[in-house]
Amino acid sequence: MSAPEPTTVLQTSGVSIRFGGVQALDAVDLRADRWEIVGIIGPNGAGKTTLFNCITGFYEATSGVVRFKGEDVTDLPVHRRAALGMGRTFQNVGLVKGSTVGENLKSAQHLQTRYGALGALFGSTRASEVERETEARARDILDLFDLGHLWDTRVAGLPYGVQKRLEIAAVLATDPELLLLDEPGSGLGPEEADELGDFLLQIREQFLLTIVLIDHHVPLVTRISDYLYCLNFGQVLAEGQPEDVRSHPEVVRAYLGIDPDAEVA
Amino acid sequence: MTAVDPTTVLDTLQHADDAEIPSAPEATGPTTLGWIARGLAWAALGWVVLCYPGNVASPFEVPAFDANRMSEAVIFAIIGLSLNVLIGYAGQVSLGHQAFVGIGAFTSAFVVTDLTQEVVLGVLVAALVGALQAVLLGLVSLRLTGLAFALVTLVYGVMAQQSIFAIEAFTGGTAGKIAPRPTGFESDHRYYYFALIGLAGVLAVDWRLLRTKGGRALLALRENPRVAQTWGIDTKAYTLFAFGVAGLFAGLGGGLLAHRDLQVVANPFDFNLALVFVLMTTVGGLRNRLGVVLGSMFFAFLRNGYLVEKLRLEDGIGPIPGPLGALDMSPEFAPLVFGPILLLLVLTRLPGGFGQLVRPVQEWLAGRRLRWVPADEEVIVNDVRA
Repeated sequence: MSAPEPTTVLQTSGVSIRFGGVQALDAVDLRADRWEIVGIIGPNGAGKTTLFNCITGFYEATSGVVRFKGEDVTDLPVHRRAALGMGRTFQNVGLVKGSTVGENLKSAQHLQTRYGALGALFGSTRASEVERETEARARDILDLFDLGHLWDTRVAGLPYGVQKRLEIAAVLATDPELLLLDEPGSGLGPEEADELGDFLLQIREQFLLTIVLIDHHVPLVTRISDYLYCLNFGQVLAEGQPEDVRSHPEVVRAYLGIDPDAEVA
Repeated sequence: MTAVDPTTVLDTLQHADDAEIPSAPEATGPTTLGWIARGLAWAALGWVVLCYPGNVASPFEVPAFDANRMSEAVIFAIIGLSLNVLIGYAGQVSLGHQAFVGIGAFTSAFVVTDLTQEVVLGVLVAALVGALQAVLLGLVSLRLTGLAFALVTLVYGVMAQQSIFAIEAFTGGTAGKIAPRPTGFESDHRYYYFALIGLAGVLAVDWRLLRTKGGRALLALRENPRVAQTWGIDTKAYTLFAFGVAGLFAGLGGGLLAHRDLQVVANPFDFNLALVFVLMTTVGGLRNRLGVVLGSMFFAFLRNGYLVEKLRLEDGIGPIPGPLGALDMSPEFAPLVFGPILLLLVLTRLPGGFGQLVRPVQEWLAGRRLRWVPADEEVIVNDVRA
């Protein structure tokens, strides 16, 4: 996508992480420019989610640097990175499943609800005002996703597909600039995967997002990505234009040759 | 990723929206007769809480001793709500809560007796000191989790009883500290209302907590700290926040308890009491305000065999037959006998505790139909990727 001034939103330089004897990530360089959709594919266990965990701060990289909007965030805790505009989803749906849909959308706006949590307990008027705005915004976002009627429903009782959609609604409520999506298409058939692709292209326009996307639906990822990485054994196996990466002999071999059980999407 | 049959997925997605629409509100509300019945029930409830214990507009004559027990029940409800913030909302545990309460009790007595201040001020200072020491203990919880932290709270409680409560200048040593009642609330009957004001305040704060960002942050971080963090919630800061609020309530409860007893001594603040606190909160029903209040009151009445004697269980059924009778158990052990039994029931059969039991009545009083509402199942996140 052509941005007026292409600036780098996310950049990892030589990010490595080792768990005991396993080199889970080995000097991974990844870049996502403003308003780009960057895809990451790779067989199971390639280190894709581990990379997300290093980017968002759940794991501390053994070495390497993570830069977000030009700032070195390598040592920042997760919530501080979130405050800078990093949003992410999880493979197993990152929502507070014991709470209602409405509560989730309000909780997700934690950073936007600017009042003292302690003062609010003793009835500060500012808190009440902000709460009204928070609820209105939560309802707006839910309506945008056609989920408004579920306001009072407990998340745990919702079907998987709805939870997935709700998770993206919640993460958008955090006002992210960068959206890291961990397998948004898991459990979807080819047709839904196609719809998901259109949906992601649409929210990028609407919310001015940079998206980094992990998924096993290779056709989906290649279709919507501006740039594609393939990880294998913690290393970048290939990178470049999606079609080129997809037909790269090493990539084909990683998917079909080395591990025949790995999923071919 | 496992292979998924596309047709079933398609099916779920297509029916996703219509399948989960919560049952529409009942078209017909209660009849006029239904409203009258509910009005009467509300009035009766109000009378039991507001009039009966104080012998106000009441044909009964509640003895002072019983009124005193009712004050204690109200104060236990405050303490239960304190533990509910910690265990229920934040997912932390405290086996040393008797120290939170005890420090509040001694602080208030100290402020009133030694610094000759008003009781109201003493109780408020007790709440603040309770919050402060709870935050300090909370700092430890950021380093230790689970069993290790539970052990620290247990040791803290016992340590406080043996050391802090033995500082003579602060606690008056074994003789204890005098804690007079506030003017206007000197009698046992009047003091009940003083305690009730405290409970009303705590209920209001607790209600606000769940309706503002702090409470939502706690519920999120308890169930799934990783999701909470990606939403920008500083899980450490909010864990301390929970300790602070819990300490505030516990300190207030301690202060109220001190002036009810007119004198504070260290002895009652032992580990047994901490156990009763945890039991009453859990059996009452975590995250269920009314349940916690009822559970706490129930256990307060069980203490010292009060409820057992009151209901004349001993007179009615005589000595317990069989081998149990040979144990010749004193009714004082009632909380620690009934407690574990009820705890097992709650943990295995009735996850919502007392709160779940009274929920149908609650629904009915709110103008809906009397119906059993199953408890929400606990969501347990054990997948590291989630």
